[in-house]
Amino acid sequence: MKRSKVLLVLLSIAVLVLPSLSLTAQDMTEVRISWWGSQNRHDRTIATIELYEELNPDIDIVYEFQGWRDHWTKLSTQAAGGELPDIMQHDYARIEEWVANGLLMPLDGYIESGAIDTMNISDSSLAGGMVDGQMYGINLGNNSEVFTLDTDAFAAAGIELPPLDWTWTQFEDIANAIQETLDIHGIGVLTSDQLWKSYYMGCCDQWAYAADGMSLGYEDDQPLVDYYNMLLRLQESGGMQSYEDSVARGDQGVEAQLIVTQEAAMAYHWSNQIVAVWTASGEDRNFVMYPIPRPEGGQSQNYIKPSMFFSVTSQAEQPDEAAAFIDWFVNSVEANEILAAERGVPISSVVRDALLPNLGAAQAEMFNYLGIIEMDNSPIRPADPAAHADVINNVFVPEFVEPVMYGMISPEEAASYLREEANRILGAQ
Amino acid sequence: MGVLPMAAATLTKGKRRRRSNFGQDNLVGYLFISPWLIAFFLFTFIPISVSLILSFTDYNVLANSGDFIGLDNFQRMFFEDRRYWRSVNATVKYVVFSVPLRLVFALAVAMLLNTYRRGVGVYRAAFYAPSIIGGSIAVAVMWREIFGNDGLVNFTLNLLGIEGPNWLGRPETAIWTLIILAAWQFGSPMLIFLAGLKNIPKHLYESAEIDGANSLQRFLRITLPMLTPIIFFNLIMQLISGFMVFTQAFIVTQGRPLDTTLFYALYVYRRAFEQNEMGYASAMAWVMLMVIALLTAFVFRSSSYWVHYEADEGS
Amino acid sequence: MAGIEAQAPAGLSAPRVIRPALPWYQRPMARTIFYHAAVGVTCFFMLYPIMWLVGSSFKPPDEIWTNQTAIIPKEFYPQNYPNGWAGFGGISFTTFYRNSLFYATLGTILSVSASSVVAYGFARVRFRGRRIWFAVMLVTLMLPTQVQIIPQYIVFKQLGWLNTFYPLLLPRIGGSAFFIFMIIQFIRSIPVDLDEAAMIDGASKFGIFLRVILPQLTPAIITAAIFSFYWTWDEFLVPLIYLNSPELYLVSLALRTFSDPSGQTDWGAIFAMSALSLLPVFVIFISFQRYLVEGISTTGLKG
Repeated sequence: MKRSKVLLVLLSIAVLVLPSLSLTAQDMTEVRISWWGSQNRHDRTIATIELYEELNPDIDIVYEFQGWRDHWTKLSTQAAGGELPDIMQHDYARIEEWVANGLLMPLDGYIESGAIDTMNISDSSLAGGMVDGQMYGINLGNNSEVFTLDTDAFAAAGIELPPLDWTWTQFEDIANAIQETLDIHGIGVLTSDQLWKSYYMGCCDQWAYAADGMSLGYEDDQPLVDYYNMLLRLQESGGMQSYEDSVARGDQGVEAQLIVTQEAAMAYHWSNQIVAVWTASGEDRNFVMYPIPRPEGGQSQNYIKPSMFFSVTSQAEQPDEAAAFIDWFVNSVEANEILAAERGVPISSVVRDALLPNLGAAQAEMFNYLGIIEMDNSPIRPADPAAHADVINNVFVPEFVEPVMYGMISPEEAASYLREEANRILGAQ
Repeated sequence: MGVLPMAAATLTKGKRRRRSNFGQDNLVGYLFISPWLIAFFLFTFIPISVSLILSFTDYNVLANSGDFIGLDNFQRMFFEDRRYWRSVNATVKYVVFSVPLRLVFALAVAMLLNTYRRGVGVYRAAFYAPSIIGGSIAVAVMWREIFGNDGLVNFTLNLLGIEGPNWLGRPETAIWTLIILAAWQFGSPMLIFLAGLKNIPKHLYESAEIDGANSLQRFLRITLPMLTPIIFFNLIMQLISGFMVFTQAFIVTQGRPLDTTLFYALYVYRRAFEQNEMGYASAMAWVMLMVIALLTAFVFRSSSYWVHYEADEGS
Repeated sequence: MAGIEAQAPAGLSAPRVIRPALPWYQRPMARTIFYHAAVGVTCFFMLYPIMWLVGSSFKPPDEIWTNQTAIIPKEFYPQNYPNGWAGFGGISFTTFYRNSLFYATLGTILSVSASSVVAYGFARVRFRGRRIWFAVMLVTLMLPTQVQIIPQYIVFKQLGWLNTFYPLLLPRIGGSAFFIFMIIQFIRSIPVDLDEAAMIDGASKFGIFLRVILPQLTPAIITAAIFSFYWTWDEFLVPLIYLNSPELYLVSLALRTFSDPSGQTDWGAIFAMSALSLLPVFVIFISFQRYLVEGISTTGLKG
């Protein structure tokens, strides 16, 4: 019968391609590590790991990697099963939640003993990994928010580049001027929760969350209302992309930003993303990086944020070897020549200096920009409270940003609902 | 539970007694279903039971612990969680429109392709093609492009003189892109219909033709009744998978805008893995299970009125 | 319903009844042309996304977003394919395809064969508790996997099966509820006369299953195999949780590992590998689908 022939063919395929179901056992010390990223990061990180194994023949680094969202699905499952790797890549917005649940190990001992060498690292680069006074994550690259300006578009519109300490008022005028002269948007949407948090730092020297993380950290809703009223004006005039349009385009990654397709003359993103923006736009484009505009009479909204961390988990079987690897990963020039600042500007000054001569145009701009920010930044922020993701995902976006930007509710009304709900969630932790 | 076993009574339709001499055999029966029973008790029973227990706790994944909190999760879901009701709303709307659309398309195209013509194999592949594009990120980009401002849909509407809306950006239309996506991926019910059509004995059509029945009459008197077991199966399965819809919203809209595409299973996933509230997520999942089970039981009940089984034909 | 009625005759009656002196639009030739025109145009809409995907997979990096709507790239850039195929850090798609083919083939064989046996038990054997087990089986379909993952993970951890294919393959020895129910429905539309005749000839239940029922189930089993292969090929969440070593990654996992919303992403490579990943599923479909309808027209049509 024909069917049995089909079955036979399938069976033989199955046998032919049968991969080994079990892995070979090792006598070496195994250190498990897990990170998220894209192909570029995987390639570079794996090459770095292979170099480390060459230098340390008794160490076997067993690695796992996945996309951003899958990273958290997989690692929280592993956490519940007591199967966390020794080292995991961690995120600024989530680290406190993991610390609060006792899943990460403090690294202060390793820093004191010199096992993780911080000689060439400034305190501001390390501060982001501190939770409740202890170090839980080693920063893998400095990052800061940036407004990227397309200098060709500015020239075409006959608009002068603003000063580095530009204000939101100046920004609004520029965005509208671009819209009027070039008939493109000034910029994409500016509704990120990052800007909500940093706006309070800029105007009023307050942080979005209270120091104990049990409530919001600001008393007055008015600055938030002012900021969103500006966004509504810009949305109306076309100086900013409409929220509706940004929803329709979706989160397709850095490469899909309007500045890439020349549908806008400015973009707001993280400084390490400039490489992706520039690559997708084409080498012949010209960009310059600016700090976030500041509120009238206020201070800088920028701060140095760790792009991501390496943390040692409390379920680690080889914490000492894990710390040794992290130390090498951060401090070794050889390693960072392979990593090529893909995770952000390296925190070790020695590494930075070694990389400088070989940077591409985009990376050079990024290094230069971080230098500017380091000279004029606002104080380092406390890590987000454990309920931060809950507040953003279940209140800030669906109950504040969206209804306001769709014009269903006034910023005043939404801001007071945001306060009420956020305080309820934060207080219940 | 109780309802389903009762409804599943249609399996035997009360004709057991008369046929009891044929096929009543406990040992042989359990032997045949033993693979399923073994797999069920080894791999499925524990996770399902645990999730039921968790639904009465505030179990947090990262803390890996939770306290028994009685019915609090259900109280919170029904009375305190606005997003919960938005997700119910989106899911019901999706099911109501996508399930009939998919079934009608699937049956219509299956009839159209159940013929012998040159190239019909190619057509069959073409109609099945959208159903295998999967859930990769490329699909999200593609779907956004198709429904974008100068994408295929609005371009076609323009040719017809209609100005298309901003499909994915407007709260009124966003869910329709997902319903259309579902309707367009009718490949799996279509194949099942094709297989069902093939099982209809040819002689029925031949004798109908001798009786002078036209094609509409043949469809109504032969095809449709003979196909009812398959229609029934497709209806049940499309209902279940409609309520559990996840991937499309997960990759394309992520629930936006204004939670109009926040499908139930997507909200469950978010509570479970973004907020780590597995207890609450389990409670939501069990409420959905109850609702689907009730609906399924209802369809099973109704099946004795409209589903026609060759094997159960008594006389 | 109007749609069905209008279209149904085209499919069923077309070449059979030929009477003289038909108006031109009812002549076989006209009907054939009409059929191909209507179906062909619809096919374009059905295939458009795949054409777009394939087209985009040949666009260079700076054209993917700047020339998004075009199907045909301005600059032909096949380099995306080797870039994507290279995979991650020396583990290429050769590995991922080998793993996926192994898993999808073995997984399909396991779940389709087990489903047929179990379905026969439910459909043709009467035993105590049958209705309850059937209902339980359906209910297992109604609980989202997401809330079962963690307890299941702990079960498989206790069994020592993490980072192997066992958690993916072994649950399939019980078949899948979807296929079991589907095959039950097909068996129930087969008249029992044949079973009874075989029983009188002294055949056992298993003999009836093999010799009477199974041959008539070909369309159902082919359909199940096509679905099962695709669903297994596309399966994502469970492999993500259980397969740790990149050497064990599947194509579906690898595709989602390409991109990072906050970092640099090679979209050309993603499109190239996504387009390529459809190929095995398509080949399986093309080679199996002819069993579905072949033979339907062997009566009554010559040439």
